[in-house]
Amino acid sequence: MRVLIGGVGYRFLKDESVGPYMADTLGERAPEGVEVEDLGYHPVGLHQNLTDREPYDRAVIIAAPRRGREPGTITAYRWDAVLPDVEEIQHRVSEAVTGVIDLDNLLIVVGALGGWPADVRVVEVEPGEEGWGEEFSPLITGLLPEVEEAIWTSARP
Amino acid sequence: MSTYAEPPTFTELPIDVDPSGQGTLRDGPDPWAYETRELHPIEDTPSKMEEMRARNGQVRKVDFDPVTRVAGALAFHSVVDLESRQVLETDAMATLFRGYEIILKGRDPRDAIYISSRACGVCGGVHATTAALALEMAFGVKPPPLGIVARNLLLSIEYLYDHPLHLFLLAGPDFSEPAVRATNPELWERAQRTPAASKAIHKFGTVAEIMTGMTPLTGTLYAEALHMTRVAREAYVIIGGKYPHPQTVVPGGISATIDVSDMNEIMLRLGKFFDYGQKVAAIWDDIVEFFYDANPQYRNVGTRPKNLIETGQWDDPYAYDAEYKNCDDWGRARWSPPGVIVDGKLVTSSMTAVNMGLEEFVEHSFYEDWTKNGHSNGSPFPQDPLGNPLSPHHPWNKDTIPKPGGTSWKDKYSWSTAPRWDRKAMETGPFSRMWVAAMSPNDHQRFTNPTGHSLQMNVPGGALPGRMVEWHIPEVWGAFERNRARAHAILFTTLIAYDNLLIGLDMMRKGDTAVSTSYKVPKDFRMGVGLWGAGRGFLTHHLTMDNGVLENYQILTPSTWMASPKDPWGNPGPYEEAVLATPLLENFEKPEDFKGIDVLRAIRSFDPCMPCTTHIHTDDRVITREVITCACGVDEPHEHAHQ
Repeated sequence: MRVLIGGVGYRFLKDESVGPYMADTLGERAPEGVEVEDLGYHPVGLHQNLTDREPYDRAVIIAAPRRGREPGTITAYRWDAVLPDVEEIQHRVSEAVTGVIDLDNLLIVVGALGGWPADVRVVEVEPGEEGWGEEFSPLITGLLPEVEEAIWTSARP
Repeated sequence: MSTYAEPPTFTELPIDVDPSGQGTLRDGPDPWAYETRELHPIEDTPSKMEEMRARNGQVRKVDFDPVTRVAGALAFHSVVDLESRQVLETDAMATLFRGYEIILKGRDPRDAIYISSRACGVCGGVHATTAALALEMAFGVKPPPLGIVARNLLLSIEYLYDHPLHLFLLAGPDFSEPAVRATNPELWERAQRTPAASKAIHKFGTVAEIMTGMTPLTGTLYAEALHMTRVAREAYVIIGGKYPHPQTVVPGGISATIDVSDMNEIMLRLGKFFDYGQKVAAIWDDIVEFFYDANPQYRNVGTRPKNLIETGQWDDPYAYDAEYKNCDDWGRARWSPPGVIVDGKLVTSSMTAVNMGLEEFVEHSFYEDWTKNGHSNGSPFPQDPLGNPLSPHHPWNKDTIPKPGGTSWKDKYSWSTAPRWDRKAMETGPFSRMWVAAMSPNDHQRFTNPTGHSLQMNVPGGALPGRMVEWHIPEVWGAFERNRARAHAILFTTLIAYDNLLIGLDMMRKGDTAVSTSYKVPKDFRMGVGLWGAGRGFLTHHLTMDNGVLENYQILTPSTWMASPKDPWGNPGPYEEAVLATPLLENFEKPEDFKGIDVLRAIRSFDPCMPCTTHIHTDDRVITREVITCACGVDEPHEHAHQ
């Protein structure tokens, strides 16, 4: 089974940078058949890269989008692959090619243009602190082992 | 073409320029001072709005109000008369504060390359190179010829990413089948029975087939453009390491070694743009002519005076020496020389004159005026390094002092400053690049030939036979011509890249393989400016440094020029001006059916480049539309008190 684990998000944005952090740190502990990558680049490029590769059986995406939940909430789910209407997809493509890095954009654009395996899992962490910085808040720092466990669980066959 | 434009005559600035190009400040007690003109927006006078509505029930506020995901940028407010189909009032709002000027203060100057690159998520590389140029001037370091060639290749390739993106992913959908069917169904009917004049090149039988090809997501032209952006990115990273923020741009050249196999890898990808460039130029020729034939008023969509500014770009590897005192010479030696066009005439091709005429005003921007309407006598740099007068509003004298506040159409409503050259609003883009190049003599004529009224481009054969493609300076300047010029700019760019690639290979054959010159960061006071270009035009970085750190860093981008709010005298910025002149040709019967396609075509033709969502409010509803603008043109989020 081939699995791609990908972190999504901007760097240096405190708690919102959990995705890139996981992409940087999980690789050395990844078991055979699991690849870890920073997917924090524009989704059209990811679509093009993925369609060039041997298909994966599963993708696990980690990000910290702010959705109004209790800070520190960890959510793991299987993406339903339901796409919005064409106009909304075009909007997302426009954002993608002009440099926006965002979990929803990534799912929708690659979903529309192609490249995802049939099985896409997502691990989200609700960020706490907002602003510039290299450090996570104490809350998120304390939750990192739990986030990592959620990722490995999602990647497991 | 045999002569350069004469030294400019400044009509508004208090500067006289002698035949040698040296400027002197005219006598007077307070030569830079000016009086501001008060604005009287229609909406600030409720009785006026009501009176207009009483006379004509179809006068509406139309707001393009952004909701952006990350660094949203542009909003547009207007008053339109849907009965007479005229735009009555416009205000362009940059809703972001960029802040790089403040971030860079006190830093190691070399950081500017990597930090300023982040000003834009589309074309960061151009900021990196512009920063490198400014640093080279300040440090006194000149790259070896192959380093300059490598930079020229990076610039070209970045444009080859940018142009298809604009033409088919951002502006193109406004000309696609779904958009035309929805806004002007009579044009769709006509397109289905109109043969495409350039079928031999692009293979589409009718204009309707082209429009179908431009359909977002499913259209073949849309998909092909996505693919070509990848081809360009693949070529870019061979030298740049990564994109859009290259890792190899340094003062004194580039930090990556390049060899013949790298050049061949680039050539493999560049070659694809010979055919693609021909095809895209033919497609946009057919689209533009179709609309003009259907209704000549389309020529006036997005029209404004032919006032354009160009920094020049693509340095001659044997002319560029990074010295300000020689910049007129190495500027004119560029593949695309600098210049200013006023009312269609090239008034200067001098880089010092381009720099001398620059000012930024903030009367209607969320900043403090550091000059007190020009009355301040304390400008740090009353002259440039050659003794030419500089306005207190010149970027070298500018102090970025944010002043957030509520939006007022009469007072302050934008985070963009109002840049002016000789106190005139200027636009810039691939079209200014080609326009100035068409009107200027040039030694680089292996593939391009300026005629004074056109640019002839001799395209090598690929799958399509080689041929001469000619871009003509347009009679009427507007949105459709901006897009047509952008389409032809693919070939212009590709041919310059090819020329540089051949020059680079020749250098390698001769053993001239150095790509960088070593340097030390000076500790004494220095100043520098990088004059370069972005996909959408004019780009300058002005810096001063002392004790080895940056004292001031000012970025002036194409979107700042074009998203400009009104200036101290009430003159609109280019977006405002272009929308104000736009006839509403959309086919609608009831106000609630109005989609604003002509206004959006006008705005998008400038290629604002960062995504934002605009909501078109007609009084009783909101239509969500998308406009793209460039975050590099604007300057940090503020409390947006929409009125």
